[in-house]
Amino acid sequence: MNLEPALQAFFAEADELLTRMEEALLGLESVPDDRELIDEIFRAAHTIKGTAGVFGFDDVVHFTHEVESLLDRVRDGQIAVSAAVIGPLLRSKDHIGALVRAVAEKSELSGQDRAEGDELTGVLLGLLGKAPAARGDSLVAQAPGVPAEPVSDAGDDDCAGSGNWHLSLRFGVDVMRGGMDPLSFLRYLGTIGEIVHLHTVADALPPWLELDPEACYLGFEIDFLSDASKADIEGVFEFVRDDCVLHIIPPYAKVSAYLDVIRALPEDDLMIGELLVLSGALTRAELERGLAQQKGGSDSEAPAGPTAPLGEILVEAGAVNAGVVDAALVKQKQVKDNKAQEARSLRIDADKLDQLIELVGELVIASAGVQNISQTLANIQLSEASEVLLRLVDDVRDQALSLRMVQIGATFQRFQRVVRDVSRELGKDIELVISGAETELDKTVVERIGDPLMHLVRNAMDHGIEQTEVRVANGKPARARLMLGAQHEAGSIVITVADDGGGLNRDKILRKAIERGLVSEDAQLTEREIDRLIFAPGFSTADQISNLSGRGVGMDVVRRDIEALRGTVEIDTQPGRGTSLSIRLPLTLAIIDGFLIGVGTATFVLPVGVIVECVELAGEERSAARARGYLDMRGEVLPLLWLREAFDMQGESPTRRENVVVVQFGQSRVGIVVDQLMGEHQTVIRPLGKLFSALRGVSGSTILGTGEIALILDVAGLLQIAGRNELVSHPATRARGVEADERSASLNVQ
Amino acid sequence: MAKTILVVDDSSSLRQVVSIALKGAGYDVFEAADGKDALSKLTGQKVHLVVSDVNMPNMDGITFVKEMRKLPAYKFTPVIMLTTENQEAKKAEGQAAGAKAWMVKPFKPDQMLMAVSKLCLP
Repeated sequence: MNLEPALQAFFAEADELLTRMEEALLGLESVPDDRELIDEIFRAAHTIKGTAGVFGFDDVVHFTHEVESLLDRVRDGQIAVSAAVIGPLLRSKDHIGALVRAVAEKSELSGQDRAEGDELTGVLLGLLGKAPAARGDSLVAQAPGVPAEPVSDAGDDDCAGSGNWHLSLRFGVDVMRGGMDPLSFLRYLGTIGEIVHLHTVADALPPWLELDPEACYLGFEIDFLSDASKADIEGVFEFVRDDCVLHIIPPYAKVSAYLDVIRALPEDDLMIGELLVLSGALTRAELERGLAQQKGGSDSEAPAGPTAPLGEILVEAGAVNAGVVDAALVKQKQVKDNKAQEARSLRIDADKLDQLIELVGELVIASAGVQNISQTLANIQLSEASEVLLRLVDDVRDQALSLRMVQIGATFQRFQRVVRDVSRELGKDIELVISGAETELDKTVVERIGDPLMHLVRNAMDHGIEQTEVRVANGKPARARLMLGAQHEAGSIVITVADDGGGLNRDKILRKAIERGLVSEDAQLTEREIDRLIFAPGFSTADQISNLSGRGVGMDVVRRDIEALRGTVEIDTQPGRGTSLSIRLPLTLAIIDGFLIGVGTATFVLPVGVIVECVELAGEERSAARARGYLDMRGEVLPLLWLREAFDMQGESPTRRENVVVVQFGQSRVGIVVDQLMGEHQTVIRPLGKLFSALRGVSGSTILGTGEIALILDVAGLLQIAGRNELVSHPATRARGVEADERSASLNVQ
Repeated sequence: MAKTILVVDDSSSLRQVVSIALKGAGYDVFEAADGKDALSKLTGQKVHLVVSDVNMPNMDGITFVKEMRKLPAYKFTPVIMLTTENQEAKKAEGQAAGAKAWMVKPFKPDQMLMAVSKLCLP
């Protein structure tokens, strides 16, 4: 039997459950008596334990069992929620993760993990030891739908009275005439368990004169101790079942066992009666009698009225405990709900999705080809048909891309734990504020943004936020705020990591940069340029290398990671008030809305999202701009970049006029001068080979409808090229750059 | 003293299987090949339980039970009737005649033993 797919599902599920468990634990820190959170944590542990058991992962089961026991006590209110409980539980969650990982990787647990496990088990047992076992009744009282712990070790010995079955038996008058001796059944009953107490009921006995010596008038109330199932006990009376009235009331412990079984049953769409029979709470014979009664009742007594629910009939007949019926009903509802849920969402192999996107990419290219041909042929019918086709392809593209979009919330949530742990380690009081968790972005981006974010968050906590005493001395709230946010902005996603700490120390940064030879001593740098130095390779201001950040992998790694995602990072910092880092990322990695521009015979693509406007450059203005290197755009200075020159291309610029495409990226704006504008184009991004990875200003390529290749311009890279030119040759624009700095700073204040 | 069981069936192999199982559990077992044979074996000794097939030559199981119930000593003796599945009409007839316990053939020796013990422990 190949269990591999089920195993993979288990690992994924365990991962998810542990994440939920962690979130709930952290939530519990602020709201210690939140029932739902406690239940959620318990459910997670319970499910992991249960499933791990199925696969025979005993280590996981044993450890999780202790965790579950502790959680059970917490749930019953026997152990109060406090840091003393949450701490070990968080560590336990990590340890369960380690155990599951070890199984997944088919590896042995590391010595460190093993030691952690032993220590934790000790801690958990200690916590359990302080609160002696006193449950029992708690199991019925719990909310329906909450899985109960198997009661194998409890119940039986701690409540002697409730450990017994109770049989209420009234023999039919004719049993003896049918050759059945009531005593023989009781004797046999004695062979499958112990008759603890037997009371003979003789109420039905008539006056002596009317007594028929061949008739049976006796009934028995029996307390019976046995491990036998309800069906086995009923089976004892199989030959007289139709002639007697028999109620079998399960022992207390058994009821909770039924509850367990009901909850653990597979998620099949079952009738309530079937559920009860499967759990062992109801025997098939009892079910059939109940159904017959339900049918009979609706036939004769109330022909027009609604039929009584089977559950009620069974409870009334004493066949089954009301709590068990409730549990079965909850289970039934859960199954239905899950079914509905399944219909709403569907898990898909990520590879399949990638293949689909790839195909959609090909489709987009092919449809561009069709459009191209239809334009050349100038056939009206063909153009109309191709327009329809194009529109549909657009829709398909959007839909396909949206399949890859996931919310960033889950990634952000992970940082709750990080912030909590790190702030304790640092002795700082830091609150994490999350916004825009529902913002969606490409799955790959979400997966790969985790590490850079982690670095930025740690950095902000370690270097950005001051020690509590310093904050208080500066009149700031003792509790620092770290903000993680995401939002859509002009075709990209901006993720912000902001703190209300001390801001960047520009003097120190500059000093360190000079020390490390990153800039020359007499360099004149703007504040923005100084800020950006922290992204330089090998830069660190930390005087001491701390455990958290400043381990040598600096912000340059963060920058590289982000640039690999075609994103950029910007810094906004204010001394004394805090630092904000904005990561700007493309919405998707596969297909963009492009704008075609031509220089000579070559075609380039600019992402539409970055284009502000296009203006014509002709006549006097053209020659003036040529001479100054910038354009007077309604009173503002717009630095220009001649693409032909930037890429050192052959050929002359057109004689009559050129075009300027104004692009904005972050806070910078630049005009790109090109020969001609060629309109929008669905651009399927094809990465460039490794050979070209060092190219500045080009981020990829695409295939046009004509089959030609066009390079996709990397705006950030172009801006750097433009910025270099500008700094060297045009001091006037530099002054403006400083203004921009101040403007952004004032925005930040608000 | 061990309880005595009379096994009535026209198949000698079935009688053997049943009697081996019951003897192994500590019962004394007598065998009879049909109803007439069985009635003759009831007299002269105390039989505590009867296991009887329904379809037999000479005297069928139901007639046998009716006759047996006429004997004062066997008015309340438990009887297990052996039957094949689709004999509901026979079953009703048999129960009216005083044979409440029915077992469906084929059965395993253990099942037989369990049914017997419910009515009469060795």
